[in-house]
Amino acid sequence: MRTRVAVLIGIAGLLMAAAPAWAHHAFAAEFDAQKPVKLKGTVAKVELINPHSWIHMDVKDADGKVTRWMVEGGSPNALFRRGVTKDALPQGTEISVDGYQAKDGSNRANGRDITFADGRKLFVGGSNPDEQPGK
Amino acid sequence: MPQRLVARRLLRGLLGGLNLLAAAGVAALLIPRPAISQTAKSKAPAKSYTAPRTPDGQPDMQGVWSNAVLTPLERPADLKGKEFFTQEEAAAYIKRTIEQGNKDRRDGSGTEADVARAYNDFWWDRGTSVVKTLRTSLITDPPDGRVPALTPAALKRAAQVREARLLHPADGPEDRPLAERCLVLNSAGPPMSPSAYNNNYQVVQTAKTFVVLNEMIHDARVIPLDGSPHIPSGIRLWMGDSRGHWEGDTLVVDTTNFTGQTPFRGSGENLHLTERFTRMDAETLLYQYTVDDPESFTRPWSVAIPSVRTSGPILEYACNEGNYGMEGLLSAARFEEKKKSK
Repeated sequence: MRTRVAVLIGIAGLLMAAAPAWAHHAFAAEFDAQKPVKLKGTVAKVELINPHSWIHMDVKDADGKVTRWMVEGGSPNALFRRGVTKDALPQGTEISVDGYQAKDGSNRANGRDITFADGRKLFVGGSNPDEQPGK
Repeated sequence: MPQRLVARRLLRGLLGGLNLLAAAGVAALLIPRPAISQTAKSKAPAKSYTAPRTPDGQPDMQGVWSNAVLTPLERPADLKGKEFFTQEEAAAYIKRTIEQGNKDRRDGSGTEADVARAYNDFWWDRGTSVVKTLRTSLITDPPDGRVPALTPAALKRAAQVREARLLHPADGPEDRPLAERCLVLNSAGPPMSPSAYNNNYQVVQTAKTFVVLNEMIHDARVIPLDGSPHIPSGIRLWMGDSRGHWEGDTLVVDTTNFTGQTPFRGSGENLHLTERFTRMDAETLLYQYTVDDPESFTRPWSVAIPSVRTSGPILEYACNEGNYGMEGLLSAARFEEKKKSK
């Protein structure tokens, strides 16, 4: 499937040329559009790091088995500048992730859309989740 | 510079031909190179403003500046012939651009395009305004606001890079772009370009150096002001070799000795970049640059970006420390290979 990867990278290159509003690396080469995932779970660890942040979460299946997932987000610098820190997502916070799984099948996904479990947007009101609108 | 000599000769030839055909006034409008200096001059600071001085007596440009702006580098096709917005058009453009660029949109879910949007809008920081002049492109010259056509040599070079990447997309990290390897990032330049986040840079001045620290990745560009010459032409640097000098209240930075591995819109190793920093008022540092690379572009071109004072500090980027994405990319490529060989 190297050809396919190559084509995707080629497409990504074209998009990069057309739109500078681009993530630091080609997400389409890392995650699979054919493997959408919807995860509900609790925050285990937050890495607000560059070039991309990672939120680690525990997802429990119907049998009660817990699986750890890593979810990729963006650079944290804009959040820091707005006063948001990793305290905005304390361990145990329930979140939902709608994203795409890693191509290699590992338990990694891009956080295409991360929200609180009840659908509220993250990081809107500052660092304290209790300050989020709607709560 | 040999390129300049060639350009001047061409220009003289063009002038001679045109003078035979047209009145001198009309000809002047058609000649590209003088138009650049006119553009640069027209952007000189208003005489009423005098920049404060550093203890060394230089115009003080120190502080943290943001070049986040929604004005595109090139004038979009649907604005062809329209050099400036009206206030109303600018407001409509801003609204439309923010809506279209909003990463929380999920139309096209399940496609590569949706994967490429990568993550929610709260991570991004593209700016919320256009340049104060209401110009519809950051490019001020040529007048059509577009990057000039690439030369056949530049097109060939770009095709070779694409081909190499198709043959070896991800055998190892060296096959990936310098940006993905956390070595240099395009928007940090030179020249510096507005990007989707981390559009901040800090200026620190001493008597003999002008330092530009860009929030996007890790490089502090330390630009000598001591009149020393460029490094020998055999030594090449990803970010080129920059030397600065003052022209009145404008700092002019001359950069050469590129490698060709950090192409800017198709530029090559012999790019000659001239940047100009000028204080316009208490809150604005005008950043201009001219791309002169006859081997790559059919004519030189110029850009103006007014940077706006913003609160600091510049935040650390430390790209290489957290680059799990590289591992993910390579792992995906190995997985795809295995699948193919089965």
